[in-house]
Amino acid sequence: MASATAGLGTDTAQDLLFDRSFRTRWRLGFDKVIGWVLPLLFLVAIIPILDLVYYIASQALPTLTWTVLTSTNPYDPDALGVPILSTAAIMLFATSLAVLLGLFGGVATAEFLPERAAGWVRMTANMLVGTPSVVLGYFGYFLLVITFGWGLSFVAGSVTLAFFMTPYVFRIADLAYSSIPRPIREAAYGSGARPYQYVLRVAAPIAFPQILNGVFLALAIGVGETAPIVLTTTQSVIFPPTIYSPVTFLTGTIWENFSQPAGSPSLALAFQAALILLVVVVALNILVRVISARYQKRLEGLYQ
Amino acid sequence: MKRRSGGMSVGVAVAIAIVLLIVGIAGGYFLGKSTTSSTNNNTINLTETGSSLLYPLFKNYWFPNYTASNVVLSAASTGSGTGQSSAELGLVNIGASDGYLTNASTTNLINFPVAISAQLIYYNLPAPLNGVHLNLNGSILAEIYSGVITTWDNPEILAAQPASVASELSAMSAQTIYPVKRSDSSGDTFLFTSLCYMSLASFPYPVSTSGLTGFSGANVLTGNGNSGMVSTAKGQVGSIAYIGISYEASAAAAGLQYAAVGNNATLANGTYAATASDYILPTTATVSNDANLGLTRLDFATYGLAVSLILGGSYAGATTLVHGGGGTNAAAGVLAYPIVNLEYALIKTVPGGTVVTAAALAATVAFMHWALSYGNYNSAGASSAWIDGVNFVPLTPEVIGYDNVELASVSGIS
Amino acid sequence: MSAATTPHRHRSAGTVAGRIVPFVPALIPAALLLGIVVELLISSKLTNFGLDFWGSNWNPPDHWGIAIFVTGSLLTALPALFFAMAIGLGIAIASTTYLPGWITRFLDPFVDLLAGIPSIVYGIWGYLLVAPFFGTVINPALYNHLGFIPGFGGVAPRADGLGLPVGIFILTLMALPITTLLIRDALRSVPRDLWEAGLGLGATRWETMRHVAIPYGSRGILSAAFLGFGRAFGETVAIAMVLNVVATYPINVYGSTATMASEMFLLLDSAFGNSQYLAALSEMALVLLVISLAVNIIGRRLVARIVTYEVAGL
Repeated sequence: MASATAGLGTDTAQDLLFDRSFRTRWRLGFDKVIGWVLPLLFLVAIIPILDLVYYIASQALPTLTWTVLTSTNPYDPDALGVPILSTAAIMLFATSLAVLLGLFGGVATAEFLPERAAGWVRMTANMLVGTPSVVLGYFGYFLLVITFGWGLSFVAGSVTLAFFMTPYVFRIADLAYSSIPRPIREAAYGSGARPYQYVLRVAAPIAFPQILNGVFLALAIGVGETAPIVLTTTQSVIFPPTIYSPVTFLTGTIWENFSQPAGSPSLALAFQAALILLVVVVALNILVRVISARYQKRLEGLYQ
Repeated sequence: MKRRSGGMSVGVAVAIAIVLLIVGIAGGYFLGKSTTSSTNNNTINLTETGSSLLYPLFKNYWFPNYTASNVVLSAASTGSGTGQSSAELGLVNIGASDGYLTNASTTNLINFPVAISAQLIYYNLPAPLNGVHLNLNGSILAEIYSGVITTWDNPEILAAQPASVASELSAMSAQTIYPVKRSDSSGDTFLFTSLCYMSLASFPYPVSTSGLTGFSGANVLTGNGNSGMVSTAKGQVGSIAYIGISYEASAAAAGLQYAAVGNNATLANGTYAATASDYILPTTATVSNDANLGLTRLDFATYGLAVSLILGGSYAGATTLVHGGGGTNAAAGVLAYPIVNLEYALIKTVPGGTVVTAAALAATVAFMHWALSYGNYNSAGASSAWIDGVNFVPLTPEVIGYDNVELASVSGIS
Repeated sequence: MSAATTPHRHRSAGTVAGRIVPFVPALIPAALLLGIVVELLISSKLTNFGLDFWGSNWNPPDHWGIAIFVTGSLLTALPALFFAMAIGLGIAIASTTYLPGWITRFLDPFVDLLAGIPSIVYGIWGYLLVAPFFGTVINPALYNHLGFIPGFGGVAPRADGLGLPVGIFILTLMALPITTLLIRDALRSVPRDLWEAGLGLGATRWETMRHVAIPYGSRGILSAAFLGFGRAFGETVAIAMVLNVVATYPINVYGSTATMASEMFLLLDSAFGNSQYLAALSEMALVLLVISLAVNIIGRRLVARIVTYEVAGL
């Protein structure tokens, strides 16, 4: 908006500058001061985040050895190898399920539902996105752990997490397919394409980056969730051999160890898990931004 | 018009990235399965959850050193209440609890003691008080934790101290007491409320793992787990907290000091003599003495191994706590630290469900045999280094005998 | 859905299955939501706790009054919302009006990044670093200098700093990216000619912002408030770690209390075997769910279009 004032504003400002009345000088002065004060508010956001990253890194790095990071020895109580691998496995499972449900649902909503019904479905998805994760944790506990009898296990945790991630993927798939430019759509159907052909061969390549974005976003959100996991799993020192085995998630490691005494290796473990989470989440967020920036350019390119 | 397929290049590049990502994750998955299953797919993973008092013993000492083939054990610190209910529901193999479960048999559980532990009363006071052990007893503690006593210079507290300590306390001019309680459902709370209940007839709260839920006020602080108690007490001058003995090292590092806890013989007079022998410091000897006194109340036939060792010699009945009826705690000349308990592992007697399978149950029993022998005693017949590491006391031979009887009753185990 | 991309809905010819099957996956969100509600109703066994449920006496196993938790959630979320809106408004104005483009392109992602940080990482940072700072520096300063204001005096704040102030601080940081993003979007959607008209009439940038842009974007700003509130209201783990959750009303502004989400999270373990306890917690979960849904619906209706912000996960 600064550029918007460049052309027209200058003249007006010039006129104002020659108006020496107190009121005008006050108005201009206030505007100028505010222009310096408000940007300082950025610091309110930036300083805490830098402090947080610095603190986590400084507590985690001193004792972070390659052994700690990769040891899968079940007799070593302070190692991250098993939690990291377990987390990767959970995320693979949960993301696959979430993409399955969300992608199909989103495409169906965008393509096959009449407008009013689509509005209701979208509202439902929006409501789910805003649901506190602890409610979903309760759902997972009551339904999966108790009623289905899966116990505190890998599958209970992964499926609960998948339920948590599905609405995000759903909305992005929906948006991706809904924003395919109309000319392309009409050209496809006008050429006699069947719906599945349109969905798979025409729209998918165009929507793909945005959907990929959604997958990474869901991953970033899912990997940091604590409540659904803590309520549906219990600790394990080994990688889960079956899907009904207990499993350790990285956030579960933090939750278990954060109140340990200062200086103990267990507390350092919590910090190290937090550092890994931070790195993964920040990397995913950057990836998401990069992809959406390039996707924008691509979409514009389609109209040349 | 721009070729639509020109847009594919970004998609292709990113597709390659995602394929690599998936390959990486899947590779990690299978790598994980293969490395941690040196341990093959027959590995039995026994899950334990519950008491934060037992957690250090399990997690740092016993589990990493139990090297039976094909069995690993995983510990979690969630509080005795969770240990009890998870064991009841069959969600874990071992439920760790500081307090026994009454009516354990209705859910096919047995109260299986694995060690003898003690609970300490820590306080955070400035020098020179952090260098001396204050004298406290059950009725003073009960009054603190029901809001009757609110400052450190209360006459009852002062009367129990030697003169020099009493004057230090008064010099603090009405320093507020901040009682710290557990926010999770805790066996330590069970033990502490047992002590209070037996010491003071007017103690208003029930004896349970969440007995102090109703105790609230401006000065009441909370801690999550024993480690949370340590950090909460550390953060507030004037606080007092009940903390398990396995956290002694971290409490000391936090600058907290523990009290000498008296028996209720002093209560009879209405005044509290400051005789040294009436206020007892927790040592291996005094803890053992109290355990021995308390174990005389053991009634295996009726209650199994559920027995309260609080105020060891002072009342009859294994699990009947007499409200305010604490009598003398010691046989003549025997110093017995009053807040002592058996640490229980709750295990099922019959297999059922996906977690407590027959194989898992057999492995659990095997582990328990190990715990009773190697876990508690070293080869020289003294307490094992692991028990010492958490300041516990090994089980008495009598209890071990009963434990073996109980293990024999687990179905399918010879 | 704007008119530009309203599709011509293709109706598949052929079998009934061919007509029905494509619709089915679209029902997934509805099925999930319905499943959650039904499951919570089942586990609550539709126990009617009566008016006591809405009272202040929470004392298992006898009394199940959840008023403390509802109040606690409001006491943490509303101040956090206030701060997040104020700061977010300032940042958004600065970003759209006062700062050159190259700076905003650099700084805006920073704020958005705040949204991506897992709440347990906020929690461990808050519990071990920020809370002691509050306890040793900020709370005593407030107590000593502002003690005359009712609520800021009274019982001295605890030295480890856990309590409302640090809880509100952490929640503000969590709600901030949402409010900033939505307000920024609302301000950017102001048509250029409206802006320039304002400036052309001799208004300063601030005045144009205040009298033209903000009223124009007021719906978006209101939406930011609702969605930011929803975020703060439902926060579980970070609050459980820094608030010193205890089921009482706070004594003063430094005190501790409990929120619905954190209490639900911490207490489920204790309730396992006790069906009445589980019922009470399930009903509290339903209350939380209903409030979150309501706040979300209202917040999104205000913006009247699908808003997907990839980074904030809105």
